[in-house]
Amino acid sequence: MSPMPPLIEAHDLSKNYGKHVALDHVNFAVETGRIVGLIGPNGAGKTTALRAILGLTPYEGRLRVLDREPFSDRAALMRDACFIADVAVLPAWLRVDQAIDFVAGVHPRFRRDRAQAFLSKTQITGKRRMRELSKGMKTQVHLALTMAIDAKLLVLDEPTLGLDILARRSFFDALVNDYMDETRTILITTHQVEEVENLLTDVIFIDRGRIVLDSSLEDIATRYAAVAVADDKVAAARAERPFFERRTLGKTVLYFERPDVQQLANLGELLTPSVSDLFVAKLSEGAA
Amino acid sequence: MNDYAWLVRREFWENRAIWIVPAAIGVALTLAALFGNVQIAALSLPDSRALSGAVLFGFGVTFFVVMNIYATWYLLDCLYADRKDRSVLFWKSLPLSDTATVLAKLFTGLIAIPLVYFIAADIATLLMAFIVSVRAHSILGGRLWQPDLWLQLQVLWLYLIVTMAIWYLPFAGYLLVVSAWARRAVTLWSIVPPLAAYLLERWFFGTHWVGTVLQDRAFGYLPHALRDNSNSAWVTTVVGDDSITTPASIWRLLDPLGFLSSPATWIGIMVGIALIVAAIQLRLRRTEI
Repeated sequence: MSPMPPLIEAHDLSKNYGKHVALDHVNFAVETGRIVGLIGPNGAGKTTALRAILGLTPYEGRLRVLDREPFSDRAALMRDACFIADVAVLPAWLRVDQAIDFVAGVHPRFRRDRAQAFLSKTQITGKRRMRELSKGMKTQVHLALTMAIDAKLLVLDEPTLGLDILARRSFFDALVNDYMDETRTILITTHQVEEVENLLTDVIFIDRGRIVLDSSLEDIATRYAAVAVADDKVAAARAERPFFERRTLGKTVLYFERPDVQQLANLGELLTPSVSDLFVAKLSEGAA
Repeated sequence: MNDYAWLVRREFWENRAIWIVPAAIGVALTLAALFGNVQIAALSLPDSRALSGAVLFGFGVTFFVVMNIYATWYLLDCLYADRKDRSVLFWKSLPLSDTATVLAKLFTGLIAIPLVYFIAADIATLLMAFIVSVRAHSILGGRLWQPDLWLQLQVLWLYLIVTMAIWYLPFAGYLLVVSAWARRAVTLWSIVPPLAAYLLERWFFGTHWVGTVLQDRAFGYLPHALRDNSNSAWVTTVVGDDSITTPASIWRLLDPLGFLSSPATWIGIMVGIALIVAAIQLRLRRTEI
């Protein structure tokens, strides 16, 4: 089997809004079959990156998505890629059955039976208009429409914004159990890392238009370590060149990249940083 | 082509006023015919043909005026509405080009909406004529019903729809540009630039080229599409104290060759196409309001 080119490939991707630099010569690639989290604080450039990937905005640099140039070829790209921008974009006047009819009419890869099967598990009926549905129900409709499309790439931009915890849980459960398989790729942005860290295979941290970390979760586990030390060991731990430290419960937690693990274990309690820990550490490092 | 059919269909779903308004006018006219005081029966009728023509014409004009106001508003709102409710992000997640979307909206505003009004006007006038004839059967009989006049009116409507779509293409293109561009107050933004251009030209150059161009486009349609209103094309009939002026024959009124051979028509088409291209470019780039 010949090596497949990455599903998404960005080289020197830049985007300015006037003087504001939203993306600053960014490079990254997304491979088939991964669930990638594009994670950053508000205004970091993640939505801009998604907009560029989805062909919603022009950009500078080179960007290929499913071997297409997204901005000039958006309509064709959307046969193989789909996205849920956020829950509020289904128009208020649209009826559920109209939404299904319309997507079935214009999308060659839409499977009506799948959308209906998904919706039949909910309380939502065809004659309801979006304005009559709760946010959680609207998300279910959008998810039903999207999951019924045989797409290679699914992009989700803050998909659970404004949803209560039950709706969030069912959203991600449906995504992982009913949708994801090895032929598909999901790119998801969020500023709430905790919510998605268990389902991701890769993370890309983005801050002020730059990528501060791009790694698979397996690599993170081998590459990063943290140690919680008592006050008398802080100086010794600092000598090992941590990139971030914080005080918690009377101890200092120090974060290291490619550390000598044996050495750290002698200083205190060895910890495996979670994605959210690392996110905070990496972003604070950039701010310092 | 199938994509275009779906896109136009969606415009009808979204803008239910497209058919509700003409249906309401039709119902109102039908009710007026059913329960109104039919004065016509009392009139002496020197020429029922002229009266029939006036009735058909009058109702046609009612529908026509409302249709133009609505279609203008529709074109100004259609692209802006997608951005305002953010549904543009949903439509753009489907394999439909922005060119197809903008052209479908243009078609809806210039052809589909006028056709709906045309059909509504037809049904309403037929019902009217029938009801009035039945209510006043002994006096009027079928005299109000003039099939050749009715047929002429059908031709006139279709001719007006097609030629107006062509003549007003630059206005429609301009409305789409504003609709794709403005962040708020589309109505204001549709008026301010031409008004500013007109005023600035007057203040700085003392000329009024902009005003003349706009005026010629706005009011130049009738003289371009219809033949000169010479006396031979019109007939005035005196009914009691009133006089009714109707076209003697629609055929003598229409001037398709004159319309298509006028440079103004073709300049309008070219300006219109340029503005529509601009609207498509804006739709490609603007997703926020």
